[in-house]
Amino acid sequence: MADRNIIEIRNLTKIYDLGAIQVPALKGLNFEIEEGSYTAIMGPSGSGKSTLLNILGCLDRPTAGAYILGNDDVAHMSDKELSGVRGARIGFIFQSYNLIQQLNVIENIHVPLFYQGKDISDYYDHCEKLAQKVGLGDRLDHRPMELSGGQQQRVAVARSLVNEPLMLLADEPTGNLDSTTEQEILDILDELHAEGRTLLVVTHDDAVAERASRVIHLKDGQVDKDIRKQDSDRKSENQFQEA
Amino acid sequence: MPGFSILRLIQVGFRSLRLHKLRSALTMLGMIIGVWAVILLVAIGEGASREAQEAIKALGAQNVIIRSIKPISDKVQLQGEMQWESIYGLKNSDAVRIEKTVPGVKRVLPILRHRKNVTHEQRDKDCQLIGTFPHYPQFTQSRLVAGQFLNEMEEARKENACVLTMSLAGFLFPGKNPLGQEVIVRGRESHQIFRVKGILEERADSEKLPQQADATGHTILANVYIPLSTFKALYGIKDIDLSVGSISVNTVELSEIRVEFGSVDEVVPALPLIREALDKVRKDKVDYEIQVPINELNALKAQKARDTWLLMLIACISLLVGGIGIMNIMLATVTERTQEIGVRRALGATQIDISVQFLVETLILCLIGGTIGVLGGCGNAAFFHYILHHTTIVTEWSVIAAFGLSVGVGLTFGLYPAWSAARLDPIEALRHA
Repeated sequence: MADRNIIEIRNLTKIYDLGAIQVPALKGLNFEIEEGSYTAIMGPSGSGKSTLLNILGCLDRPTAGAYILGNDDVAHMSDKELSGVRGARIGFIFQSYNLIQQLNVIENIHVPLFYQGKDISDYYDHCEKLAQKVGLGDRLDHRPMELSGGQQQRVAVARSLVNEPLMLLADEPTGNLDSTTEQEILDILDELHAEGRTLLVVTHDDAVAERASRVIHLKDGQVDKDIRKQDSDRKSENQFQEA
Repeated sequence: MPGFSILRLIQVGFRSLRLHKLRSALTMLGMIIGVWAVILLVAIGEGASREAQEAIKALGAQNVIIRSIKPISDKVQLQGEMQWESIYGLKNSDAVRIEKTVPGVKRVLPILRHRKNVTHEQRDKDCQLIGTFPHYPQFTQSRLVAGQFLNEMEEARKENACVLTMSLAGFLFPGKNPLGQEVIVRGRESHQIFRVKGILEERADSEKLPQQADATGHTILANVYIPLSTFKALYGIKDIDLSVGSISVNTVELSEIRVEFGSVDEVVPALPLIREALDKVRKDKVDYEIQVPINELNALKAQKARDTWLLMLIACISLLVGGIGIMNIMLATVTERTQEIGVRRALGATQIDISVQFLVETLILCLIGGTIGVLGGCGNAAFFHYILHHTTIVTEWSVIAAFGLSVGVGLTFGLYPAWSAARLDPIEALRHA
């Protein structure tokens, strides 16, 4: 696997200015994420996990430091530029799926492309393939209301892939699911990793972190531990197949 | 943003609105009622104005009508306490003087009227007996339906020939051809037989006469036209009015003089000259009035312009109320769909994308509401016109203005909700449950 870094974080700092007091949430983080890696970010609440997620997802800007995503420092881009970066380079997977209720499966998968100015009729086949990939090829015109939680999350995974992002950013992707469904979703993530996609999962669930090849522990806004596991340490059958 | 995205936005906008059908319908209601009212009110106003203008045009825009009016306290007591005579009004000499001295006058038409009872066989009717000249129909733009109007020969020979208005002819001669038949005009001293030689369709209201309704509720314009010379020879110029216990005699040579000018432009400048010609032979006695159709027409048009502005003002207020309703609902919608906004932002939507989305939804609401309002207003106006026979005219500008205002309201009141949706912090929005 290539050693190219998808993400480089340099002295990343975030301070919330509450007027009277200033609350530091991230205190100068430094790390890299390599292309094709599967990283879990863990930490107790208040550790700066959510803040880091928001910055990595280009939803928020750091107070100081650099965030290189791909080849660009996105740390200080404008709102409009960040919107473009989110749409083109990041595939979001949320805890509560966050599908759009008035759209069906195929249309939900297409949403990120819409904001890239791409017409659904030109990308219908592409979206349909992704739906099939997550096992929903027979439910293309279903609305989110008509799907189970696991199925909705599969749609969200397909949606995160639709514009071939640099990385998938998942926020507690199995937080709302029962254990059986959780395994299904984690298996899909493993498959994606096996395909060579870069995965970044923010979680407090050890079962989720277990699948990752690297776990970054945050504590008080700093990297506490950064553990890289060997592939052989991991249980996933998919990983054995890959090897 | 490319064109297909707009189409897609409209498509998705429709779907978002369909999620809450009742709410969307109620939101549109304010718009519908506003636009409906504008179209209908303007159509009714336009219809009424058009009818009034037609009536005034029937008098002739290039005409001036001078009428004899009875001056106050100008009674001469005759023998006996209960007999009075008033001598006033226009004279033949006035007509001649106006024709000769006022520039621009093409011709004048003298008219003399008395109330008389007219019968044929068992049927009788109180009518206006009108003595006038042969060019009466051209002057009043009345249409001859059958036969001939009075001619110069009859005028010269003082013949007993008459022309009836259409509704009177229909009343006196039901199911018969009145031409060549005879009617009896009853007088105090003698009854006179007149031969019917023509039927005239008088333009409504052109005589400003009281119209009588018959048993079936139809109004009858009961006029009998005879040569002026015949009128004077048979009835003189004294109109005797028998009231309870008293007799009053109105001695009036001419009831009315109509003056036709060569063109409309000559009318207004000539008015002082007409007054001068009339006042020259009168000593401070006001026994005539001048009606100027062109002035009435202009006054009516000015009135209509004011009415139109008033209607527009009312329309704007109702659309303002509708717009506020729409803004209120859209603000609620933005709050309700905060999470969706967050998701869309995370998936790459810019602030512009989000505001356009909500603006499009507001515009859809307004345009659908406007369309229903226009259709409803037009339908309503057509119902008034064709079923209730109340003249309404739907003007193009009212439809265009209604649509324009709908879009305007949509843009104005959609902008704030759209902006408040766009400025939501994506992180806060995503967290919103």
